[in-house]
Amino acid sequence: MSSAAEAQKYFRDVTDTVCDLVERPWGRMPKAWYIALAFSLGLLGLLLVSLTYLVFTGIGIWGTNNTEGWAWPIVNFVFWIGIGHAGTLISAILYLMRQKWRTSINRAAEAMTIFAVMTAGIFPLFHTGRPWFAAYWLLPLPNDMSMWPQFRSPLEWDVFAVSTYLTISVLFWFVGLVPDLATLRDRFARRGKNLQAAIYGVLAMGWRGSARQWHRYEKAYLILAALSTPLVLSVHSVVSFDFAVGQTPGWHTTIFPPYFVAGAIFSGFAMVLTLMIPARALFGLKEIVKESHIEAMCKIIMATGLMVGFAYGTEFFIAWYGGNPYESFTFVNRAFGPYAWAYWIMISCNVLIPQLFWFKRCRVNPWIVVGICILVNVGMWFERFVIIVTSLSRTWLPSSWHYFQPTFWDIATLLGSFGLFMTLFLLFLRFLPAVAIFEVKIASDHAHAGHKSH
Amino acid sequence: MHDNEQKPGGRTEEKFYGLLAEFDSPGALVEAAAHVRDAGYRKWDCHSPFPIHGIDPAMGIRPTILPVIVFGAGMTGTALALLMQWWMNAWEWQWIVSGKPFNSLPQQIPIAFELTVLLAGVTTFMGLWALNKLPQAWHPLFKKDRFYKVSDDGFFLAVESDDPRFDRAETERLLREAGATAIEEVRYVTSPEMRRVPRPIMAFIVVTAVLALVPFAFIAKWRNSHSDKPHYHIVPNMDFQEFSGAQAPNDVFPDGRASRAPVEGTVAHGELKADDHFYRGIADGQFARSFPSQVEISKDTMDRGRERFTIYCTPCHGEAGEGNGMVHARAQAVGATATGWVQPSNLTDATYVKQPHGQIFNTISNGIRTMPAYGSQISEADRWAIVLYVRALQRAKNASIEDVPPEKRPAIK
Amino acid sequence: MSTTDTHTTGALPANEKVHLGPLATRLKGLGLGAGLVCLAAALVWGLMLGDDMRRFMHSYLLAFTYFLSFALGGLFFVLLHHLVGATWSVVVRRLAEILTGAFPVLFLLMLGIVIPLWLGNESLYLWSDHDIVEQDHLLHAKAGYLNAPFFAIRMLIYFALWLALSRYFLKRSVEQDTSGDPALSDKMKRLSAPAMILYAVTTAWAAFDLLMSLAPHWFSTIFGVYYFAGCALSVYALLAIMSYALQRSGRLTSAISVEHYQDLGKMTNAFTLFWAYIGFSQFMLIWAANIPEESVFYRPRMFTDWKWVSLALIILHFCIPFVGMMSRHVKRNPPLLALWCVYMLAVHLLDLYWLVMPSYSPDKVVVHPIDLLCLAGMGGLFLFGALGVAGSAKLLPVRDPRLSGSLTFINQ
Repeated sequence: MSSAAEAQKYFRDVTDTVCDLVERPWGRMPKAWYIALAFSLGLLGLLLVSLTYLVFTGIGIWGTNNTEGWAWPIVNFVFWIGIGHAGTLISAILYLMRQKWRTSINRAAEAMTIFAVMTAGIFPLFHTGRPWFAAYWLLPLPNDMSMWPQFRSPLEWDVFAVSTYLTISVLFWFVGLVPDLATLRDRFARRGKNLQAAIYGVLAMGWRGSARQWHRYEKAYLILAALSTPLVLSVHSVVSFDFAVGQTPGWHTTIFPPYFVAGAIFSGFAMVLTLMIPARALFGLKEIVKESHIEAMCKIIMATGLMVGFAYGTEFFIAWYGGNPYESFTFVNRAFGPYAWAYWIMISCNVLIPQLFWFKRCRVNPWIVVGICILVNVGMWFERFVIIVTSLSRTWLPSSWHYFQPTFWDIATLLGSFGLFMTLFLLFLRFLPAVAIFEVKIASDHAHAGHKSH
Repeated sequence: MHDNEQKPGGRTEEKFYGLLAEFDSPGALVEAAAHVRDAGYRKWDCHSPFPIHGIDPAMGIRPTILPVIVFGAGMTGTALALLMQWWMNAWEWQWIVSGKPFNSLPQQIPIAFELTVLLAGVTTFMGLWALNKLPQAWHPLFKKDRFYKVSDDGFFLAVESDDPRFDRAETERLLREAGATAIEEVRYVTSPEMRRVPRPIMAFIVVTAVLALVPFAFIAKWRNSHSDKPHYHIVPNMDFQEFSGAQAPNDVFPDGRASRAPVEGTVAHGELKADDHFYRGIADGQFARSFPSQVEISKDTMDRGRERFTIYCTPCHGEAGEGNGMVHARAQAVGATATGWVQPSNLTDATYVKQPHGQIFNTISNGIRTMPAYGSQISEADRWAIVLYVRALQRAKNASIEDVPPEKRPAIK
Repeated sequence: MSTTDTHTTGALPANEKVHLGPLATRLKGLGLGAGLVCLAAALVWGLMLGDDMRRFMHSYLLAFTYFLSFALGGLFFVLLHHLVGATWSVVVRRLAEILTGAFPVLFLLMLGIVIPLWLGNESLYLWSDHDIVEQDHLLHAKAGYLNAPFFAIRMLIYFALWLALSRYFLKRSVEQDTSGDPALSDKMKRLSAPAMILYAVTTAWAAFDLLMSLAPHWFSTIFGVYYFAGCALSVYALLAIMSYALQRSGRLTSAISVEHYQDLGKMTNAFTLFWAYIGFSQFMLIWAANIPEESVFYRPRMFTDWKWVSLALIILHFCIPFVGMMSRHVKRNPPLLALWCVYMLAVHLLDLYWLVMPSYSPDKVVVHPIDLLCLAGMGGLFLFGALGVAGSAKLLPVRDPRLSGSLTFINQ
């Protein structure tokens, strides 16, 4: 058991390390941050141009057309939503499983979730072409036109699922932030920087660390974690329902919900690592985001990747077992048809490459980890592409068969979406504590300093 | 927030909040809390940068009611979702989708689940802050510089002077014995001026509130006024298109209209209808006595004729064409015969047996006496089929036993 | 039930009873005796029915898959425990390992399905009926997979794997009781990852083979996961029941605390929710697409008397336990939790009943004494098998490196 002095020093160190980035004056951020921000603002600009052009010209600028009525936009949507799931899993599920190592990454991961969901939301909103009409179709707004949403559609369930997910994630994230916002308030106030102190103070709502308030706080945190767990499972399940509820071969299969959830966690963790490994190196967080945490995340990536592989195998087997010729054709077509190149990228990146994580050397070398994680995200993008586009390009009627190709604007919008995501994340790193300060303190052994009996 | 030296303008009071004790570790704080609890104090609290394990029982904090409220909110969400989906899709505006029942419960479950979680989560959030009485603009403890550490590495216990057991010396002794490393008095100065909202902020609130009413005022004005000007089109929405509308003006033409009549002699596709025999039932200047070549005399045509006759003709002429359709029956029932109702013709009567095919065709097309023209409702081919069927009815009515095939005679006998 | 000493020091009191002792022999005898008698009675009754053993085979399959889910649940528990390096569950891990001790007996019981198939009995599986397969285009296409010899081979492979894994983990675990060697924990952890993969594949395919092929025209990719969900929720319920029963008999009174019960309750809850999620996904997707080749599974379960069982399943297996077991006060009350867990095992049986019996009787809900005899019979033999393999072992891994962490474990 550590002494009181050791414990207090540890607490101060954690606070100092994490708050450092927020407290730096504008000219003194790490150079990498400026470069990354410039790059991501560029991509964000590309996104804004793409979306503006889209709204003024129409969705004909995309490659989405007969017979692939769904193509890149929905692939991108599912891709981004999937990435968001890791944050909630880290915050909520690992909390329920009492995994203390989550405290070093949960704040950043939750932020990543929110930004990913916001980025994802662009696609369903703008693919309508005229998003201002979407209000009555999507939301049950009171009106006297009897214009109500079609609740039997999984796309409508998506509206509720994604909005709920965004709302609850923001609320959960904010709840977790309040004590740390109080920390920043006090640090700025102590140094006489009253404007920053006031801003953080308003957001911290007067938090003073009262034990009676902590009691309710912990209960609320637990409840939000317990709610978020089934929520995160439900969101990607509902996204999978977009496909599975229909009758399209390759889409209509009952394993989609858990398979999509596993895939989402898979890609989400890969994105967390892709962001946190450079961030910890560049922003001095190596003592807090430890190697063992990275290893644990690599193992989760392995496990979920294997679940995804299991789903591939089961689908393939049942496609034969079921005896439906359209279903079996779909699977053979995926592997050997015109999109075989996409299929094998998917298999390599999702099934084969993550097997490298069996080897400890691959789990502890940060650059190998980042490389594998980037490939995992590529693979998961291709998985959605393969599922959606191969089934649509080879439907029941051979006269409808068509080889889809993306247009410049498809690609620009996808790349631009990374711009939005990265910009938001970089701004988050600048203005908010990237690590949950008080949670790291609780999780440490020093939290028991001075306790006579346990 | 920390500049508390106000000029004493009104009644300035100095308030004594209580004592603030600092401890050097979480464990020490927990132990001290147990002492304070056992001494019977009620109005006191511990403050720390993170929730300390074991401090709830040490302070005697009772479990919060939040989970119960959240459960209720969640169940409300479930009920609301199911009710909403039922009302909107199965009651207020029923519509069939994929042949599913109006109220498709399995498809309502995902949204029911989401709204359960949404309401529960939002209630958790609101309930947390409400029960914690936050946001709270200020607290006397913020006066103490030492208290800055509460969000970093400091552990504090504060006892309020309002507590019935509070005694300035006694309480301090208890805290010191419990292991406090420092004890301070928390005093603050307050006056009505200080409690008043600062002028700039009040001005900001008032101005914002007034400005917020402006859009509503405009809306009220516009809803109750009339304008000759056309609508604003915030989003063009293909509202302005380059083509000329049906009744629009156009200077290019002498008569100034965009709509033009077709060129003299223009005939639309399918409208030429040159064949008099087929289209008008006239051959060689009289009603045709034969069917036109386009009409195939076959069972199919007969079936078609029967079907069309049943649809269009039987209401008046009856199933057998004898003029006793349900319209006539109704007319009789309401006594219309007394006021000029004439029974529809008996098509099997000799008059109509003698009429040429083309004449019957013409009657169907153009109507006769009270019978309206059916030419706009029945295509020419169908009219000929009906003529064929009428001939069959006539033959049936006027047939002898020899006309019946031998194998069917016993059934009739 | 638990003394505060163990809770704080992390050491078992010296007088803690960790052996079943003579109770094991008695239970084994009871299990074997009752098991053989009941099964024999069921067999005789089945023969007397004169339906080519159709009723008996279905009851047998029901009981078999029920008790197999216990053993598979136990194996899952052990593998997961080692894979994630769990601390809280060390005190109950041996109980799960005891459950896996029943695999040898289950292997023999499996032969009770395979051998009749081999001998030409066609009353259980439609695809084993050669006449039907000849005329049915779809079954003919699947005959390469759905045939008696390949079925038997697959069963042998599954059981070989399950026997090997359960034996490996039990043996090492018991070895650690005496040697205290921490390297054993590392070995078990290392194997647990590939073992989990093999477990997933074999469990899913066993479910396809044993249960899904009862409706051989039908298919569902999630079916294996559905059966697994039942296995997982069974094991946590069973562990709670076993813990309570043992503590009532004076054993493990210090080791297992309300904290462990709460976690067992939480996991039972979690997997009940998981089961409902999987079950709903399967149902709603098939219902929404309404394709005849898939909806054939749900048709008897929605439009005949079986609809009442379906409704009961939703309410009893999901709604009631979800609300009833939500409160932590229920989970921290061992007798109450044990009662709920018995209830969960009962509704799990209802679930399997709903899976199996509509193949026997698509129109009417039928319960027959043969069902109960088979259940009692196999239950007794399961008990015999589990205790036969692991009955003499200590009831908790006394020298597991993480035991003290487990003993002092507290829920936040």
